[in-house]
Amino acid sequence: MNDFHFQSMFKKINLYGLMGILILLMVWELSARWIWQDIQVLPSPIQCMDMAWQVLTVQELLMHIATSLSRILIGFTFAAVIGVGLGIAVGWYQYLGLAFKPILELLRPIPPLAWIPMAIVWFGLGESSKWFVIFLGSFFPIFTNAWRGMVGIPPVILRAAQTMDVKGFELLLKVAIPAALPDIATGLRVAFGLAFGILVAAELIASDSGLGYLIMQSRETSRLGVAIFGILLIGLLSMLADGILARLLKKFVSRGRY
Amino acid sequence: MNNKIKSWLIPLIALTVFLLSWELASFMVYLRPTRFPAPSKLLLSFLDLTFSGYPAGVTIDQHLLKTIERIIIGFLLSVSLGVPLGLLIGGFHALDRLTSTIIAFCRSVATLSLLPLAIVWFGTGEQAKIFLITYGCFWVMLSNVIEAVKQVDPVMMNAAKTMDTDGIELFLKVVLPSALPRVFAGMRISLGVGFMVIVGAEMIGTVIGLGSLIMEARTFYRTDITMVGMLILGLMGFLMTSGLAWLEKKLMPWQQQEHNRTSA
Amino acid sequence: MSMNPSVPKINLSNVYKKFNTDLQNAHPVLGDVSLHIVENEFVVLLGRSGCGKTTLLNIIAGLEIASSGIVQVDGVDVMGPGRGKGMVFQQGALFPWLNAEQNIQFAARKQGLNVEQSKELSQKLLLLVGLAGAEKKYPFELSGGMQQRVAIARALALDPQILLMDEPFGALDELTRIEMQNELLRVWSLQQKTVVFVTHSIWEGLMLADRIIVLAPRPGRIVLEKKIDRQRPRKRSDRLLIELYEEIWNALQ
Repeated sequence: MNDFHFQSMFKKINLYGLMGILILLMVWELSARWIWQDIQVLPSPIQCMDMAWQVLTVQELLMHIATSLSRILIGFTFAAVIGVGLGIAVGWYQYLGLAFKPILELLRPIPPLAWIPMAIVWFGLGESSKWFVIFLGSFFPIFTNAWRGMVGIPPVILRAAQTMDVKGFELLLKVAIPAALPDIATGLRVAFGLAFGILVAAELIASDSGLGYLIMQSRETSRLGVAIFGILLIGLLSMLADGILARLLKKFVSRGRY
Repeated sequence: MNNKIKSWLIPLIALTVFLLSWELASFMVYLRPTRFPAPSKLLLSFLDLTFSGYPAGVTIDQHLLKTIERIIIGFLLSVSLGVPLGLLIGGFHALDRLTSTIIAFCRSVATLSLLPLAIVWFGTGEQAKIFLITYGCFWVMLSNVIEAVKQVDPVMMNAAKTMDTDGIELFLKVVLPSALPRVFAGMRISLGVGFMVIVGAEMIGTVIGLGSLIMEARTFYRTDITMVGMLILGLMGFLMTSGLAWLEKKLMPWQQQEHNRTSA
Repeated sequence: MSMNPSVPKINLSNVYKKFNTDLQNAHPVLGDVSLHIVENEFVVLLGRSGCGKTTLLNIIAGLEIASSGIVQVDGVDVMGPGRGKGMVFQQGALFPWLNAEQNIQFAARKQGLNVEQSKELSQKLLLLVGLAGAEKKYPFELSGGMQQRVAIARALALDPQILLMDEPFGALDELTRIEMQNELLRVWSLQQKTVVFVTHSIWEGLMLADRIIVLAPRPGRIVLEKKIDRQRPRKRSDRLLIELYEEIWNALQ
């Protein structure tokens, strides 16, 4: 049954998906060269790479990437620690939940980017304002999911543990939190994806370094190819980072299938 | 004190404490009014915005409507493109495999990073903004519709097949109604995305729109206006989600919607 | 009606089924199953999970295709689902966006009835299954037992040649289950059909069947076939049934 093995291998690498991308790139390349023919408006993929190569050194590029990634990581990590911690606390201790709820419900629907002006007022134009905005944007999904995860634990599980003399802090640590872990993981993933978008926007609007800034800059110097290059790079990085995070979380979280 | 009273009393007390401490804090020396305007000041600014507007003459409702208008247009565009395309791709396995990576990638591209591109292609006017919103909403809408189609219960499809229903009829009479709840969920998420995108998009350029109001006000140290703008945005976002959720409940009473946990 | 009284209603000869995803040397899901089912007979397929009984049912229904062997209904090869092979599933087959009446009307319309006729038929069938008055209710408003009644009514609306039932009462609690078994027998006595009923409950089989076919897995095959010559409704205290129970139980080990 040789074709069976082929099929499953194909599926694993999703060769079809790659094929799809290659076709798209080809279409882009050809239409840019033959139809548009305006390098200012729509450079082909190769032209983009070329422009980027001319303008940037590898060092510069790496620096921008590092800056952007570090901002995300710092903001996200803060959000993760505080968000998970708070979410668990609020989900476990009912009164805390009731007390915090109104304030958080008030702040939650405010789009993360809307915090940028206040962030500048409080933290200036430096790194910390970016960290703050990313923190806020990541915090809410993480917090909400952690909270819901705690609240959504099937009561049977807690009762079963209680019949085994598990109570108080031990109950929280050994039973409740593991039970809420899948939801917490979801929150982390969602927040991480958002963080990228927030970062880029923040860098476009108020920054002088990082990938977002790079893209914005290239418009001023009318080197669109660099912008496109930057855009695609961000997309790629975002996908890669999400993949890595997903892997990490899977290892951590679903050691037993839920 | 019984539980029911506690459930609204505690939040009420907490909120009041919060507002009072905020009000008092803004009087303290090191929290200058520009950095931390008091709630009372916010109220006054709100009234001011409603009647005289900021910048001169542009009242808050004008800003609000402009922002809403942009979101709605972009959203509707994305729905009209995304739903048919999603149904098509979801219905044909081969298409799905071919496009899944592309779609996943395009979804990962940070929408606002396209802003410079949008300006080159569409200028600095409305079109650039609407393009961005449409882009952001579209990919989310598309992937959700595809999932909606793929998730249709195979048992139900089998049941329909035993009733001599197949092909196009199966698709129209069984797959479509089955997928509807998920499509609606996708719309909700998509609208949320549009909402987030517009705020960023408005911060560059325009003079009208809540995003630009917030940004503009800061430049002139009117952080009170900024905060009012933020709160209005928050309210708007909340109303949008609740509104759609209400609509869903009305149209599809059979669907016990698990309140959506993800937001992207 | 069978065209020829000597042609069995359902004919399965040397049916063999192996899934593509199985490893080379794994046992097939069904290995050489042969079975003749006569018109208006109530046959129960009984066995543990994984013995292939559901696969066999799906093959008769036309939802799955046998790897080899003959599968015929009324002497004609089975080509696909539908066409007079009504089916009731364990769960989740009712259309949640249609109410009870509309679900049944869906099937009735497929039979070529117009709107009025289908409405009339659906009311008749709802009465038959004991749900008169519940026409406008949606599935989510009905209990599990009631949902299954609607499912049965819907399958009957097709005026099917044969009725295939895949553990239809498996998701119900014991008491409702017994009630539904009696309901099914009552309906069946009023609307004679050939029934193939899959279950893993020995008692359910003994209460319902004219003939019990016991299957075992790896490879899926028939290990026991017993005719039950007893009038219904049957009693659990019946000695014949208890003996049969023992025999079947042993065959399943």
